[in-house]
Amino acid sequence: MPANRTSSLVGREGLGGPYFLLSFLHPETAQEARPGQFVMIKAGVSAEPPLRRPFSILEASPERETFTLFVKAIGPGSSALVLLPIGGVAQCLGPLGRPFTPPADGSEALLVGGGYGVAPFSFLGTQLARRGGRARLFYGGRSAADLPLLARLRRLGLDVVPATEDGSVGARGRVTVPLEAYLDTAAGPRLYACGPEAMMHAVARIAAARQLEAEVSLDPWMGCGVGTCLGCVVRVQGEDDARWKYRCACTEGPVFDAARVVWPGDSESRAHQAAGGRS
Amino acid sequence: MNLAVELAGIRLKNPLLAASGTFGYGVEYEGLIDLATLGGIVSKGLYLEPRDGAPPPRIAETPSGLLNAIGLQGIGIRAFVEDVLPRLRRHDTALLVNVCGDSVEEYAEVSRICDSAPGIAGLEINISCPNVKQGGMAFGGDPRMTHAVVAAVRGATRLPVIPKLSPNVGDITVFARAAEEAGADALSCINTLLGLAIDVETRKPRLGFGTGGLSGPAIRPIAVRMAWQAARAVRIPVIGIGGIASGQDALEFLIAGCRAVQIGTANFVEPAIYDRVLAELRAYLERHGKDDIAEIVGTLEYPGEARECETGGSP
Repeated sequence: MPANRTSSLVGREGLGGPYFLLSFLHPETAQEARPGQFVMIKAGVSAEPPLRRPFSILEASPERETFTLFVKAIGPGSSALVLLPIGGVAQCLGPLGRPFTPPADGSEALLVGGGYGVAPFSFLGTQLARRGGRARLFYGGRSAADLPLLARLRRLGLDVVPATEDGSVGARGRVTVPLEAYLDTAAGPRLYACGPEAMMHAVARIAAARQLEAEVSLDPWMGCGVGTCLGCVVRVQGEDDARWKYRCACTEGPVFDAARVVWPGDSESRAHQAAGGRS
Repeated sequence: MNLAVELAGIRLKNPLLAASGTFGYGVEYEGLIDLATLGGIVSKGLYLEPRDGAPPPRIAETPSGLLNAIGLQGIGIRAFVEDVLPRLRRHDTALLVNVCGDSVEEYAEVSRICDSAPGIAGLEINISCPNVKQGGMAFGGDPRMTHAVVAAVRGATRLPVIPKLSPNVGDITVFARAAEEAGADALSCINTLLGLAIDVETRKPRLGFGTGGLSGPAIRPIAVRMAWQAARAVRIPVIGIGGIASGQDALEFLIAGCRAVQIGTANFVEPAIYDRVLAELRAYLERHGKDDIAEIVGTLEYPGEARECETGGSP
């Protein structure tokens, strides 16, 4: 059950540039959160900016009753959060949303994170590893500066394959290049993607072509986080639906089966054809 | 200290209602907040049939505001009555249905279904949604159509009928009077203001529908002015709506002449807002030596003749 409460900042770590790790005291989220879930959070009680922001949960510590967010300060909501002093308060509602589905016993999990979309995969990767599963994280960005979590993820014991478009760290090119190379050798892994829409769409296409199961974590603007404003809908085709329906990313997602998402401009997807060509 | 108010035959334990479209069907907040804290809940807009709503993106944050074009996505009145209402009725709060229609007949039919459903305290008639192509503003932007819809609903139900008026008109008092003449029991003032936000990089609207309805603190002074104008123009009570996020905001509407208020966009920002606003209202009454919230309603001391003299021009 999500809880809505005032939550104080108990830790802040700058990762260079606009990137920060922020830890908040929030017992319910710390204890109940599962990988892929998120919180709706807003610094202080000021009128500006009006809305809370959704953030994936990077890590949760039930012992300390805290959770940690990976924040890129790019707008007024995220900037206000990173400017909070230690002990400063935020309004926080969580944990929210549908988490990732763990892979079937024994099969490998391939996590594909683009930019700050890597956030949920620290949680997912470490949890899978703790349960004896196999996980590999493909972490992409424009350059090394866009992969500020690389060292930390490796310290956590995750098997990380970086890729940058300028080649400053890891493979040169898009993250899907090392992913596809690895898939040529791997047997029946399950894919998980979070990042820019084009990247998630590419992963969805790769999964469909290789008949692999894939989940994506979508990130539309959200108003409420609990399914009342209907602002964050995405086009998704349910198992029994003749055509896609608008579904709230906050309550029915943010994690969706990649094959059921109707991607913008995607004329190949099963869901799109079933929708009679509408997109 | 009494915060209870009577409105169009509906007894509200306090003057705070959740505005339509900002509180879902109410049940979404079960477990998060105590719904009995609210004076009442106005449901998401309901047509006869389920609706898909508008294409995303559907919301855009603007200065102190929220621009939305949800397009009245909804489950339809029958699903509400059968699946949601029994659960919602367990909470001690007044339940109002926001009635939508593409035609006068549809408004009447939805109202008729509500009339025979136990547990509904009143009907808010949505003649002011800016985000649908038919209905909505077609009825709320023409006083003759406003009259026709309200009269048809009036004939279909014994429940209190509360048209929700649009701010996207020249003179709201014309619409307030048309609704009163057609048999309305109260008025909700106001719905969202028509707006447009543009992504300058793509040169496209930020909303999938194009234009949207603006809500939030940005519109509050406009809403207070229009609720005040409407309240002076009619004898039936007015419910004030527009950017309320505090007790002080609610008091502006009450002082302007509204008997109750609705909290809208602020529900997204702070689901537990009702406890705080009620505490602020009590503190205000205590500070001003009042025992009853009704003592505040319509107490605006508006400048009289002095203002008239100054309109000739500034020095």
